[in-house]
Amino acid sequence: MATTTPVPTETECPPMDFGDLKSECVAPRPSIMGQKRSLRSILWLSFKGILRGLLTTLSYFRRPSTVVTQQYPENRETLEMFERYRGRLSLIHNEEGEHGCTACQICERLCPNASIIITKDKKNEATGKPALDQFIWRQDTCTFCNICVLVCPFDTLEMTGDFESSVYDRRLLVFNLNEYAGPTAGQLDKLDDEELAKEQMKPMKKYQGPIPMCGGEMDGIPKLDVEKSTDV
Amino acid sequence: MTIEVSSLKELVEQASGDDRSPDTQEYFVNMGPQHPSTHGVLRLVLKLDGERVLRCIPVLGYIHRSIEKISEHMNYMNCVHLTDRMDYLSSIMNNWAVSKAVEEAAGIEVNSRIQYIRTIFAELERIQSHQLWWGVLGMDLGAFTPFLYGIRDREVLNDVMEETVGARLTMNYVLPGGLMADIHPNFVHRVKEFIKYFRPKLDEYDDLLTNNVIIQERLRNVGVLSAQTAVQYGATGPVLRGSGVAFDLRKDHPYGVYDQADFEVPVGTVGDSWDRYWVRVEEMRQSLNIVEQLLDNIPPGDFLVKKLNSKIKIPEGRYYSQLETARGILGVFIASDKKDEPYRMHYRSPNFNNLWCLEPMIKGDYIASLIGAMSSLDLVIPDIDR
Repeated sequence: MATTTPVPTETECPPMDFGDLKSECVAPRPSIMGQKRSLRSILWLSFKGILRGLLTTLSYFRRPSTVVTQQYPENRETLEMFERYRGRLSLIHNEEGEHGCTACQICERLCPNASIIITKDKKNEATGKPALDQFIWRQDTCTFCNICVLVCPFDTLEMTGDFESSVYDRRLLVFNLNEYAGPTAGQLDKLDDEELAKEQMKPMKKYQGPIPMCGGEMDGIPKLDVEKSTDV
Repeated sequence: MTIEVSSLKELVEQASGDDRSPDTQEYFVNMGPQHPSTHGVLRLVLKLDGERVLRCIPVLGYIHRSIEKISEHMNYMNCVHLTDRMDYLSSIMNNWAVSKAVEEAAGIEVNSRIQYIRTIFAELERIQSHQLWWGVLGMDLGAFTPFLYGIRDREVLNDVMEETVGARLTMNYVLPGGLMADIHPNFVHRVKEFIKYFRPKLDEYDDLLTNNVIIQERLRNVGVLSAQTAVQYGATGPVLRGSGVAFDLRKDHPYGVYDQADFEVPVGTVGDSWDRYWVRVEEMRQSLNIVEQLLDNIPPGDFLVKKLNSKIKIPEGRYYSQLETARGILGVFIASDKKDEPYRMHYRSPNFNNLWCLEPMIKGDYIASLIGAMSSLDLVIPDIDR
């Protein structure tokens, strides 16, 4: 292992000209010990300095309400995260359980670390348009950079305030975000036949189930024995 | 300037040599990479004579994540989020540095609202970075209370920023061509509240630490770095200004809207740890002034001037841009070959240069002084390795 050790050459170096720098100079150097003082005054000033620090701490006993303490996890029920907090990613579903993702794959393309993987039906039977099959989000590689939410042209993605995600096996951090595989809410509304629309929302053969991925096999992720992992 | 290159093994062999006598002899001690006062995985090889430090050789690479190499396979929008992980205490300023470089190279002009918000956030971030540094300095010197005080006030500020940004540490808020999101409707009000809250707290900091005789004795005339050495070693930020060189990019080459704010640049006189301490504490006051002046004048406008896509293409050539983070000058070098990905991306990080000032600063002094001097440098190790 080679290390470079530059030798300071202060004596050889001519005085330096720093040019005309516009910065103003404030040189705060208040001093207790700097000046020449008698031993008694030094001791008194030292004592005063320490006492002032101690009194500052003690003064908080008089006003305990100014001390900030978060009672986490006791306050889990009442804890509210900020609206924009970047926690678990979620695909927005409306009241009827329909999502708005057209599987355009823009988020997949712009994800910096390939945490989003989208598979789609090239042509849905009912609508004749491409439809989402699986929206897979890998929390284990996600950096929460928010780019997927920002670039989504249909505003179907959001970061929820859910931040508790510790598990014993990182394969449990692979999520399938869509609750059904099929066309978007808008496309389903256009269908005249309501039963046909409902049929589109039934679980399909390729669809692996709700989150987490229940042991589905993926590239680079071996099959997971969920029962064993969750027992831990 | 002469540069000797020798391996660590050679140095150790030179020092111990054939001397096997029971008298005192020079010896080597590893400080770190898991030492609590190095604030991360930095390893210092110390050559000691008793308790005196004769040499101090930093060994790097324990937290290298090859951010520069990864950037070569990413478009410019994605490059930004990696910079959060360099100097994590000034993540927005890091984002801004990349965005500024890309904007200057690609010829994107951002409106003044974006510049105002960026400047305000940069200053808020500078305050929270110095708050943490102040607490940690106290802790390194053996006082635990300042750490709690520093973190308490940083929490208030963190909440203010979290409301707008949505993240607490790796913020990724500034993009080439704008911002991730507009400021939250509550933002201006809450920042004003924070300024009102924090001004008296700075006086409390003085009561607690600055006027304390133990702290003064451990910082004053310890780790003296002359202006010449600081410039030679390429130190920037409070380390350089503490040594008496009044150089601040915010003043000398204004970017953002710093030219519209009235503020002073604190500069030390001696160049010891105490000067660096004072420069940072004073910088917090000046940052509060800047924020206060800009806050009411945020002009209306969009928060993103460019349509979001990955296809920001930079003309062929080499581009360099720099700005002042909480620790010094962060430079971004981009070599472009007309694609939407950089051909080469290099960061000139402030901590890397500041770190090497440690040896001339501490030569011949005690190990205990080394802790104080290193704390006054305010190193963030992931920024050194990148």
